[in-house]
Amino acid sequence: MGSRSRLAGFFGAAALALLAAAAHAQNAPPAGTVVDGSLKGKTLTFVSYGGIYQDGQVAALKEFVDKSGVKLLNDGPTEIAKLQAQVESGNVTWDVVDTDDFPPFVHCGKLFQKLDLTKLDISHIPPGQVGECSVPAMNYGMVLMYKNDTYKDNPPKDWKDFFDTAKFPGTRAIDGSGSPLGGLIEQAILADGGKVDAMTPADIDKGIAKIKAIGPDTIFWKTGAESQQLAESGEADMIIMWTGRAMTAVKNGAAYTPVWKDWLVVMDQLTIPVGAKDPDASYALINAYLGKKSQEILTEQTSYSPINNEAQPKVDASVAAFLTNTPDHAKLGYQQNIKFWVANFAAASDKWTALMAGN
Amino acid sequence: MSQTSHTPTAGGDYPRPSGAVQGPQRRLRLAAYPSLLAMPALLLLIAAMGYPLLTVTLRSFSDPAWGLQNYVWFFSTPVNVTVLWRTFSIAAWVTIVCVIAAYPYAYLMTAVGPRLRLVLILCVLVPFWVSGVVRTLAWVILLQDSGIINSVIRLLGFDGVKLIRTQTGVVIGMAQVLLPFMILPLYSVMRGIDLRLVQAARSLGARPARAFLQIYLPLSLPGVFAGAIIVFILSLGFYITPALLGGPRSTMLSTLVQSQVLSLLNWGRGGAMGVVLLVATFVLLALAAPLMRQRHKQAARS
Repeated sequence: MGSRSRLAGFFGAAALALLAAAAHAQNAPPAGTVVDGSLKGKTLTFVSYGGIYQDGQVAALKEFVDKSGVKLLNDGPTEIAKLQAQVESGNVTWDVVDTDDFPPFVHCGKLFQKLDLTKLDISHIPPGQVGECSVPAMNYGMVLMYKNDTYKDNPPKDWKDFFDTAKFPGTRAIDGSGSPLGGLIEQAILADGGKVDAMTPADIDKGIAKIKAIGPDTIFWKTGAESQQLAESGEADMIIMWTGRAMTAVKNGAAYTPVWKDWLVVMDQLTIPVGAKDPDASYALINAYLGKKSQEILTEQTSYSPINNEAQPKVDASVAAFLTNTPDHAKLGYQQNIKFWVANFAAASDKWTALMAGN
Repeated sequence: MSQTSHTPTAGGDYPRPSGAVQGPQRRLRLAAYPSLLAMPALLLLIAAMGYPLLTVTLRSFSDPAWGLQNYVWFFSTPVNVTVLWRTFSIAAWVTIVCVIAAYPYAYLMTAVGPRLRLVLILCVLVPFWVSGVVRTLAWVILLQDSGIINSVIRLLGFDGVKLIRTQTGVVIGMAQVLLPFMILPLYSVMRGIDLRLVQAARSLGARPARAFLQIYLPLSLPGVFAGAIIVFILSLGFYITPALLGGPRSTMLSTLVQSQVLSLLNWGRGGAMGVVLLVATFVLLALAAPLMRQRHKQAARS
């Protein structure tokens, strides 16, 4: 597959289409291929989280739209409850849905179709990121940002230091925007002296208790914008931030430094709902999205990392400093135990909600 | 609509001025059935309020299986009960703050000339036209530790105060958002109070404070109660303001409903939370109603 995509660069789209047709018997067309006029007269609804992110996704899909002749509608933000209502009423108007990490695993086969991987070229997706019902939509991270003024010569170096309020006093701010942060709870368990290779539901309590032990002044921010505002105004001494927001905050003058050791790997997921009107068209969109060029555009516009390992986006140094797929960042990432969190999703969510509500 | 066409006699029996044509007769019929005038609003309420409410209530008993499991879950989970109590206590504080802030303001509106009154009304309404989210974010900038309020306090040589992510911060933000709902009913009642009654009390020897407490205050109470009920009930459902200005210890019930429905897809539990909040509100209003009627009577007597 790798050589085929490299060929694409030389022979252009026509050659690609030919190759794709030849390979069709066994394999999906290489990621990024679009057959001219293949979806003329059809409409696809793409659902994501709006803002600069969805704008970037639409830009990444522009070539697909132009060539295939499809009419692309945008909707959002993604709301799993809305999708559930569509699936249950049998009137699904969404064709491709960008979700956060857990839903496609929790509702696989019920709300999201099991993906037919012969229709997608997944060979350039970073290893271990393809699920039964989803492919990644982008890569980013949650990174610990500390305030330079507060810690000066003795900054925190890892999550242990984040949880050590005696050695590193100061206000902490944590992502409280939605689902439980599996990765952070795992790091809390580790900081507490526990192990994460054979977690049980009882460990969730231990991890949550460790987070709670940071103290009553902990901030749980609700939106990305809020986390950025916290950094730019210097309100918290350590902030767990999405890499995109961290980059923007630093660009805007926030005097904070990232700690890359064990940064928490996060993806968004691309899915096809159960009952989608034209699944083949949905597959075609996703396959185009996974292409090298689309991913370069996505990263250049959003500063989130591409999920095609051949993509070489042109970004300036301030953006590159926060990309998660550069060699020295990629090797430091910490991947949460998705399987465990999916299996214990309800319990973890209840406990996380109670933590957010101060109990 | 069919009702009107079935009752031609009702209209026909009325004494009719000579030379009257269809027009007045129609009006008479409508006057005989004033409830018809409420039909559009009623239909809208049934479609947009009644039906969804019924669905929510039904699902709270039937999702995922028939029974009381969602209510058992609600009352056996400590966080729910704590947050329910907190929701009512925050709503009560917001109401109190609104009454205290709105009362003198509404009085001033009745006392000044028309031009100044226009300015005062605009001061109430202009923020009302700005989205609640924007206003709440403005409060973040004012209240945060490095914000304007704390900077001023520190300039004056005092220690900073913790405002954001506290219950106080939430109450301040919510009171500002809800203030118009208190000022406007108060103003409309106060405008109707005959100030000569206060003058009469004064001329009969009452000191200003006494004239106010015995004459003006009781007459204005219906406005206070109307505003208080609106503000209190609107407060119960607040979501954005507590989420942005509050911390974990000022989470309100709407946030828990949101997490149950939107991230866990537990429509039954979310519905049960809504029903509990609704019933609790009704109970509270039922308890407060006799008290209010008492006051109204007092006001009427004086």
